[in-house]
Amino acid sequence: MKTLCVSLLLAICSTAVSAQDVTARLAGRVPPDVATLVRQLATSAAARGLPVDPLIQKAIEGSAKGVPADRVATALRGLVAQLDVAAAALRDAGSAQPDTDAIAAGAFAVNAGLSGKNVTALAVASRPSNSVPATLRVASTLAAMGVPPAETVELVTNVIDAGGSSADVLALPTQVMAGVSEGRGRGVTPAQAAAGLSRAAAARANAPGQNKPKHGRP
Amino acid sequence: MTVNEFHPQVKQLLDGELTLTDLAPELRAEGEEALRLLGAVDREPVAFPGLDTRILAELRRRRATPGLWQRLRVGLRPWTLVPAFAAGIAVALLLFRPAPTPATTVTVRFVLFAPEAQQVALAGTFNQWDTAATPLIRTEAPGVWTATLTLPAGQHQYAFVVDGARWVADPAAPAVDDGFGRRNSVLSL
Repeated sequence: MKTLCVSLLLAICSTAVSAQDVTARLAGRVPPDVATLVRQLATSAAARGLPVDPLIQKAIEGSAKGVPADRVATALRGLVAQLDVAAAALRDAGSAQPDTDAIAAGAFAVNAGLSGKNVTALAVASRPSNSVPATLRVASTLAAMGVPPAETVELVTNVIDAGGSSADVLALPTQVMAGVSEGRGRGVTPAQAAAGLSRAAAARANAPGQNKPKHGRP
Repeated sequence: MTVNEFHPQVKQLLDGELTLTDLAPELRAEGEEALRLLGAVDREPVAFPGLDTRILAELRRRRATPGLWQRLRVGLRPWTLVPAFAAGIAVALLLFRPAPTPATTVTVRFVLFAPEAQQVALAGTFNQWDTAATPLIRTEAPGVWTATLTLPAGQHQYAFVVDGARWVADPAAPAVDDGFGRRNSVLSL
């Protein structure tokens, strides 16, 4: 009982601090009605373990771009939905309480076109040697470049399976861009460039002597 | 061909408002050439080879130099050390608090071809979308604007702001829906 009370008190305090922080960061940057909505959404999001920083950033972005308040509200609600999808996907990957950085990266991946299942697969492939948020950021960049979601997941997974380090994964968008640039005369697309890299990584992973990691995919 | 001779639709392509497939077939070759020229502008992260080594060497050199303490030590008596010891503890407590881990940063050059623009700025997650915080500088090459920033490693979203009003995605970077019907460029470092 005592533990429960302490936990509740801590939760209330952290929510209060979070609300103050949100108010301070939005002061003078967004209209009052948008600030009120962000505070409400942030309080609810924080209670579910979701990050509030993306909501603050999106509200400030909308205001800077002169977007009407109702449209900012729609975008904010859409972002909360993406954060929820990402959090659920990370829980499916075996993380009981996913960290907020990973959830934010997962939400951005969803915004870039990846599904919750894609996020789960990438999170599983990342562990234990690679950073989940970094892998998700790379995947979302690849998706934003035009690499289809399934090929994005395959490429990243193959590179990690082949023993690729975090630096190798981070280099993938640059390598895809280089492949497109080199093949411009032949009309090489980002998807084709990614497929070439993926095949090469799969070949390395299956080479004799290569210990293929076991991901234990759900 | 000079940059000022580009067809208006090609300029829209360079501004990220159109894609190659949106161009009329007779303009595609010109569009590809314009993109090639823009792609030739150096936008690689700027590295400073050997900088870490030079800084560490300088730190080692300074540590090796006899300090004030070593020069005063000979004339000190034990009891005079008590206040010094207390002061030392205070200084140590101030100096040896756990320091925040320094974030890895990367220096990046942003480039936009906007020959009609009077001013161009960069706004994004790294400057709280402040349209006045990061102006681009007009280069000697006609119509080419540039800014060099040192950013923390991670993912950033941004857009160029032309003449304080027009938000333009970087035509040389991947982009995602911004949730407001426009596109944000994406930079992963």
